[in-house]
Amino acid sequence: MNPWRQVALLAKREFLERVRSKPFIITMSLLVVAILAIGPVISMISGGADEVTKVGLAGEELPGIEQELYDQAILFDIEIEVERFPTRAEAETTLTDGRVAVVLVDGTEIVFHTSGSSQLTALVHNAVDTTLKTEALTELGLSENEIALVVEPVPVEVTTLEEQNAQDEVKRGAAFVGAIFLYISIIMFGQFVAMGTVEEKQNRVVEVILSRVRPWQVLVGKVVGIGLIGLLQLVMFSGAAYISAQFADLPDIDVAAIGLPVIASLLFWFVLGYTFYAFLYAAVGSTVSRQEDLQGALMIPIALILPGYLLAIFAAEDPDALLPTVASWLPPWAPFVMPVRIAAGVAQPWEIVVAVVGTVLGAIALVWIGSRVYSGALLRTGGKISLREAWKAAAE
Amino acid sequence: MDGSEALSMLELIDLSKRFGDVVALDGAGFVVESGRILGFLGPNGAGKTTAMRVVFGLVRPETGTVSWNGGPVGPAERLRFGYMPEERGLYPKMKVQDQLVHFSRLSGLSKTEANESVDHWLDVLGLAGRGDGKLDDLSHGNQQRAQLAAALAPNPELLILDEPFAGLDPLGVESLAETLRGLASEGVTIVFSSHQLDLVEDVCQDVAIINEGRVVLSGSLDDIKNRSKKRRLTIDVDGEPWIPDMPGVEVVDGPGPSHCIVDDDAPVADLLAAANTAGTVNRFVFEPPRLTDLFRAAVGS
Repeated sequence: MNPWRQVALLAKREFLERVRSKPFIITMSLLVVAILAIGPVISMISGGADEVTKVGLAGEELPGIEQELYDQAILFDIEIEVERFPTRAEAETTLTDGRVAVVLVDGTEIVFHTSGSSQLTALVHNAVDTTLKTEALTELGLSENEIALVVEPVPVEVTTLEEQNAQDEVKRGAAFVGAIFLYISIIMFGQFVAMGTVEEKQNRVVEVILSRVRPWQVLVGKVVGIGLIGLLQLVMFSGAAYISAQFADLPDIDVAAIGLPVIASLLFWFVLGYTFYAFLYAAVGSTVSRQEDLQGALMIPIALILPGYLLAIFAAEDPDALLPTVASWLPPWAPFVMPVRIAAGVAQPWEIVVAVVGTVLGAIALVWIGSRVYSGALLRTGGKISLREAWKAAAE
Repeated sequence: MDGSEALSMLELIDLSKRFGDVVALDGAGFVVESGRILGFLGPNGAGKTTAMRVVFGLVRPETGTVSWNGGPVGPAERLRFGYMPEERGLYPKMKVQDQLVHFSRLSGLSKTEANESVDHWLDVLGLAGRGDGKLDDLSHGNQQRAQLAAALAPNPELLILDEPFAGLDPLGVESLAETLRGLASEGVTIVFSSHQLDLVEDVCQDVAIINEGRVVLSGSLDDIKNRSKKRRLTIDVDGEPWIPDMPGVEVVDGPGPSHCIVDDDAPVADLLAAANTAGTVNRFVFEPPRLTDLFRAAVGS
């Protein structure tokens, strides 16, 4: 029988037994629903902020002020609605309730609830100014065109030297969220591998399995089967996030242009990073005989992964700094740091090649080391054996 | 090996294995032929489990080899072997049917073959209808049966069972013995270890006794008994034990009247005459030694 067919059977068992389990189905469904809900929620919240600004008029009203307020609002790029109040007192009550942003009293006083907005002050002030000047100039007998020449603002072009690029900001943010997802996924599925290994040792089922297949087959089957669940979960989560983002109602953001590369990068680095760490997790898992002893052994992979995560945060802040730059080349941390630097647009092509090749080579080395420790440790039950002992036992 | 001699046969040759300072196997070896049942006996820690693990490549011996039908044993051969380890274990949360099918498929059966075989063995072992439950939901005895099913379902040519009778009730013992005899009659080679010597005597044609890593006695049970220089003498005089007064008599335990072990050239006629003068002889049996006698002599305690 082809050994890879056996590996496939082992992987299939790992995959199906977990995917079919009720806790997994429930957790996945809840999380997917939660992610799907984020977009519409964001849309609702930001929609609230976009509401029309209400401007109140109280007391004596300047003729034509309402039209002028609307005209000014267009210039200021704000949407307003004018509301009239018979008395100042009523206007103030509404102002205190927050239903009106600003009130113009008697055409001479601008009232805010708390500290005023300079933008609204300027808007209302301009409206009053223009209305009064128009009236005065009309009385002086100037034609409409002449008046417009005096009171209408001269168009001035506005130029910014550096475009505030919302797209880039969001892209880096998405890459960073991706790094967190990656970190959580690698730890979570790495632990599944370690726990599955200990479980088989603790149940003694390992001897039944090993009478049929070689240790490396068990190891590869387990890593592949659990890794496929990890991929499935990431695909479902990022798919849900992508759909969710479509409903988030984000202006100026091209969701596809940001989302698809980030998702592709997440899946790619998950495969590399998970492969690298899963074999390490299996090796340390095989050295203990009981779940209770596992926590201590798991410190080894955690000690490697955690710096990667912290460096990814660092890289998100300052992608060009020396530490994240060097870390992004090295196998244990490249999967966490490099995607963030790529998203920031600072990673050179050669750096990406170094990171990918290094991680692949590192993963191959860990497959070899991990398999050997695993073989040596698997049938040693009762207590914990050191990685060194397991390594030597495999040679016997 | 010549094709005409290709009798299916398991040979363990000169196996040695040390774990640190502990010598587990010290040149152990025995042979089992096709369709025979061999009882693999020995005190605790004698090396039985290690020898069985060597057959499945779970322990790599320092010296010695295992051969099957005259050829070396590799992964492909092992798929035709069934193993029930001493350390029982299956997946507690997995459906019984699912895991038995899984193990059978790992041994090379197709999906259909595996399902048919598992159904068959669940039925034979009295677990029909239990396949859909989790292993955890089965009673201890039924878990033991499921474990046996995992070894049997791939339809192995060689079956190696480490203490298969341990923990079974008398009916379970009887039905397992029946199952093993049936398999042997179909040509399956069976090796099992046990401490229940009466049972071994009842079920096995062959035995191998291992002590301190060496096989001290092996062969067909009949041959060994006949070759033995000792005889078991059972005497009942007036319903009381009666021990002959002669040198070299070893008194042993047994049910009912007195049991002792004497040399095979003991003067039987003189002994019977002496017993007759002592009272009414209800029983006087001079017979080959039992397995328990051979075992005691072989392991020297």
